Amino acid sequence: MDEDWGSPEFVKAQFRQWYARNSDTIPAPIDIAHREFAFLTFHGRTMYRHNRFPTLDKLRRYLRSNAPAHSYHSSGYYDDPAADMARKGWRGADLVFDIDADHFDLPCQMEHDRWWCRNCDNQGTGHHPEICECGKAQFETETWLCARCLQAAKHEAQKLLDILIQDFGVGTDELTTNFSGNRGYHVHVHSDGMIPLDQQARREIVDYIMAIGLEAEYQGFSQRNRGVRPTLAEGGWRGRTGRALYDYIQEVEPEEVKSMKLSRRATKSIIEDKEKVLNTLMKRHPSNVTSLIDPKSLQTVLEKAVKLQASEIDTVVTTDIHRLIRLPKTLHSKTGWQVQTIPYGSLPDYDPLTRATVITGDPVLLEFRWAPKIKINDVEYGPYEEEEAELPVGAALFFLCKKGARLKR
Amino acid sequence: MSEREAAKYPFLKAGLELLDGLDLQLDDLTDPNYGKALDRAAERVKEAIVQGVVSAKLADPLTELLSYPLAVMYVTLIGEQFLSRRFALAEAVRAYNLLQDEYEEKITRIAVDEFGWDIRRDPENIDGVPHTLKLAYPDYLRAASSFHEAKWKLVNRKMENGLVCLTGVEAARLLQVGVEQWVRERVSTPSSFTLPEPLQKRLDDVKKVFEENRVRLSGSQLPDEVINEAFPPCMRYCLEGLLAGKRASHMERFGLTSFLVNVGMPIDDMVQLYTSVTDFDESLTRYQIEHIAGLKGHRTKYTPPTCSTLRTHGICRNMDSICETVSHPLGYYRKKVRRLERQREQQEAEPSNTTAQQ
Ligand code: SF4
Ligand SMILES: [Zn+2]
Ligand SMILES: [Zn+2]
Repeated sequence: MDEDWGSPEFVKAQFRQWYARNSDTIPAPIDIAHREFAFLTFHGRTMYRHNRFPTLDKLRRYLRSNAPAHSYHSSGYYDDPAADMARKGWRGADLVFDIDADHFDLPCQMEHDRWWCRNCDNQGTGHHPEICECGKAQFETETWLCARCLQAAKHEAQKLLDILIQDFGVGTDELTTNFSGNRGYHVHVHSDGMIPLDQQARREIVDYIMAIGLEAEYQGFSQRNRGVRPTLAEGGWRGRTGRALYDYIQEVEPEEVKSMKLSRRATKSIIEDKEKVLNTLMKRHPSNVTSLIDPKSLQTVLEKAVKLQASEIDTVVTTDIHRLIRLPKTLHSKTGWQVQTIPYGSLPDYDPLTRATVITGDPVLLEFRWAPKIKINDVEYGPYEEEEAELPVGAALFFLCKKGARLKR
Repeated sequence: MSEREAAKYPFLKAGLELLDGLDLQLDDLTDPNYGKALDRAAERVKEAIVQGVVSAKLADPLTELLSYPLAVMYVTLIGEQFLSRRFALAEAVRAYNLLQDEYEEKITRIAVDEFGWDIRRDPENIDGVPHTLKLAYPDYLRAASSFHEAKWKLVNRKMENGLVCLTGVEAARLLQVGVEQWVRERVSTPSSFTLPEPLQKRLDDVKKVFEENRVRLSGSQLPDEVINEAFPPCMRYCLEGLLAGKRASHMERFGLTSFLVNVGMPIDDMVQLYTSVTDFDESLTRYQIEHIAGLKGHRTKYTPPTCSTLRTHGICRNMDSICETVSHPLGYYRKKVRRLERQREQQEAEPSNTTAQQ
């Protein structure tokens, strides 16, 4: 008899073995006794919620005996983490950020992501459209990943860290950065200033980090303003806006400028008098730019430019004060990889494709239905389509967890 | 602190201590000597109701100081949330008007001593305007969260190392919010006890003014019927997505559901809407809608998220000219309904014209 795609029994056994040996390396989240824990098993879709572990030892014992497919802890701190939601007694919550390459628009997604309409026979690669040609919006999707999307996610994470540290003054010891185990990164901030903030304040922080609602006038770009110095070296969004505009104008193609439908004067300034605009930005207060690019056009250009400096975070995760977030150092059963904590300063050199495969073992024979190519531990695999191949367990687990293959016996 | 200072900001610790020292009982207040304070107390509440701001009468500081706790007492005895909010705001505006003329040192001292803010003097010139103060972002966010102008958005402020630059006037404006929250906490629990005659007389007087103004102040009502054409673009977007069977995000579903509840769509219609287009389970859907409508659980009826919340989550789409003037989808709806009504009235006034066009 054929195995199910993904061979869940095999994956589960591998997880079990790993937890048996490695549970003692799982660290406790800060203030473990006031956190809620939640788990998903390999079978069924119900989440086991409202668990509480007064000590790290109890948590480790649980992981060892259950070897969960997914493990989470709450961003929130509660009087009674085991009570139901209404009776938990919220005390505060870490500010958490989720950066997931799935939310970006990247060329590589055309190579490794696919979708099908459940209603008609329409299908395609990359992201599915909002609404299918048939008028419905019910899709099946298959999303993979590659070095390029992981790199894009890392870039967003780095920008986020810079904003948190420079602008919000978060100490490097008040945050942790984790590889999510799949397509992105999680940043947890547990500084005293952040923990008590309500949803509305968190929303304002999200807007800050994504530059939502940023207006040119308040970054210095207004005829009314009377400043003397350029702002490029300033901290916060004022400096970042100036630098973003500088970089953008320096690199933008004339075609793109024309497509933005700016005023004729602004279009001319950016395309033909580029040097003059750049020089003004570099040497003079930004109010002087408004005589080259009118305020309305400037706002349009800025909205594009600041996106280069803003960070693409998931807005819902960060504004949720009861969020469940992956428990660092546990395993992720959609990849077989480990959720890893990255020490501050090491992010630029961190590569999940060589670090996150923590389960190792003898090669196994797989039968593939479809899988794009990916480089794991410096070995290139795939693309595979209806074929068999023998892979080391670490790599094999990835294709099994993504349900692109099954064990061949 | 001098009596005059206490009279300016009667809600501060010093003012309250001064009052405690007098150790007054309700019955003492029937003494005609306190007549002025009783009158002024009633006047404070009436000013709040009618003008939305309490005046500052500092010529007789003791009366001004004494009248504040009495005004608070009147408000709690009337026990209407709407009045409590209005009174708190009016007292806060009074304080703001006074604070604006103070030296920054005084402003920071009140902020630090009374509200525990992390604020300091550290002058910086921004675009030619001196910003003399810096406030820690958690305090800033708590106070500025109710402001909608672009200049108060954190992303439009200069912030470094967790400190937000402010001018003295801006700090006073933020303190106003602190005062408002402070007063509101003290007037939001209704009380009931019997007052001696001279006090009761004045309370009746205040009540009368409140009743007279109530309708004028509580805003216009929404129509009973649901007017689809008046939906704002964001809600149309959510609705169209739903009708196409799109898997809506939590925020989209919550936004749409709470919007529909608030414009008065009957729950049965909503359940039908949701279950007809998707594979939602009927009883679960009903439960969730009833929860949002305040029929289940905590029994609070949820209002839809504000425009700025919807914007954060990418649901604010296809803004039109009405959108520029509102901060809430329900505000949009209200405006559009009125506009549609006016159009209809006009058309009815010129019937020949419309038939000719058809
Ligand atoms: S401005 Fe407000 S009402 Fe208009 S579309 Fe955006 S969220 Fe909706
Ligand atoms: Zn289709
Ligand atoms: Zn990719």
